[in-house]
Amino acid sequence: MPIPGVARGGLRRTYDVVIVGGGIQGLALAYELSARGLRDICVLEAGYPGCGASGRNGELVRSAFSSVEWATFFDASLRRWRDLSVELGFNVLFTPAGYLVLASTQEELDRCRGFAARHRDLGLVTELLGDREVRELAPALNPELVAGGVYQPDGGFAHHDAAVWAYARAAARRGVEVHPFTRVTGIRTDGGRVLGVGTTRGEISTPVVVDAAGGHARDVAGMAGVPLPTTTHRLEAIVTESLAPFLRPALATLHLLGYCHQTTRGELVGGTEQNVMEPATSLNGSLRGLRDMAQKFVRLIPQLAGVRLLRHWAGIVDVTADLAPVLGPVPELEGFFLDCGWVYGFMGAPAAGSLLAEAIDSGNVPELIAPFSIERLRAGDYIRESSLVVTLGDA
Amino acid sequence: MLAGKVILCLCQDVTIDDIDRAVSLGYDHPETIKRFTAAFMGPCQGKACHDAILEAIAARTGADPSSLRRPTARPPALPVRLGILAGGEPADAPPGAGASAEG
Repeated sequence: MPIPGVARGGLRRTYDVVIVGGGIQGLALAYELSARGLRDICVLEAGYPGCGASGRNGELVRSAFSSVEWATFFDASLRRWRDLSVELGFNVLFTPAGYLVLASTQEELDRCRGFAARHRDLGLVTELLGDREVRELAPALNPELVAGGVYQPDGGFAHHDAAVWAYARAAARRGVEVHPFTRVTGIRTDGGRVLGVGTTRGEISTPVVVDAAGGHARDVAGMAGVPLPTTTHRLEAIVTESLAPFLRPALATLHLLGYCHQTTRGELVGGTEQNVMEPATSLNGSLRGLRDMAQKFVRLIPQLAGVRLLRHWAGIVDVTADLAPVLGPVPELEGFFLDCGWVYGFMGAPAAGSLLAEAIDSGNVPELIAPFSIERLRAGDYIRESSLVVTLGDA
Repeated sequence: MLAGKVILCLCQDVTIDDIDRAVSLGYDHPETIKRFTAAFMGPCQGKACHDAILEAIAARTGADPSSLRRPTARPPALPVRLGILAGGEPADAPPGAGASAEG
């Protein structure tokens, strides 16, 4: 029992829903399905819950994106984050310390002005800040990199492990079985329908399978004969020693392609991306990635030059061409649902779980997640989001 | 009575009682105990305490200590100033001490 709430008993032979992947996506979905009254839900996790990208991400939360699709979906998630600790009965340490999308050039500030206008239209609460206001908000930033930015006062960050544990416990209380160290080996289908899954602990019959396998989502979809147009990439992050408070808001920098925040324990946690994000499945950090992060964070926050790095790690994500998730049913395979393609999956999990649960339960895909269908990828009808701080080399 | 107050992880002040509590709550895997107690997450990254932590887990769970794998050790082996990794001079180095061409 690696965390509270996981199943102690064996696998049953039959479930109503089987979710492949015990990260925050799979666990949030299981919780939301059980909250809608569904029973006999099983989450299969190859390792311990949260061992993949759910425990390796930058744990930031915002809805201040540029596109209608991203901003409205993630705003639904942000609203859920505010009350998540109370709802789940476990402190996920959501800290609405604010979220700054930093502009370092006039061109980036112009883009931020466009984002802020979009946010106004959509009813999101954000502010366009000038250079002086940003320097007041985050005095530790190198003034040479401060032209202004978009600030979302109720964005922030949460604790990624606590959020995984909270969802697992809440789901378990409603009867969901979370089985750790149980790997899916195959998905049985017949006549365009899902019939069951094979696992390292035996066969299961089920009419509904959800692929929430994070960095392994394409492999799992392949087991069902569904080609997923994704590529697997490694993202790297670092954490420093604990410091006295020096940075209040969470931060994304358009100029350096990086993101960071100071945790409630005082550490700086963050990651950067390089212009070429090469396909990779290794969980080993790279010296190139480490140097990129060190150089960018020291440039962004000069006082970090004298601060010690404690850990450097990596996680893998299986991403789409537009870096947006894939959510919803697969038209040609009844009973097979996708909850994958995530890069911003930690912040998106509360809304994704709730809305995908509605899609599975009601058969109708809610408007907020309809744009994230697999059909958009097949048609090449990509979502255009321009406030991301991750990038594919050719995007 | 004070036995439970023995500090196993000197970086994060994790005691035997903390490990016992984590295991009794259900965090009984070295990787999740790391995340729940912050053992292995301080400046020494577990180098000073991993045997003691794994023994405490084993004592509470009944597992064979040799069957428990310590959490994956992440680089760097020792804490390193970001300024050194960035290629510039360390903040506390005397002027001219650095030899890097990148900054």
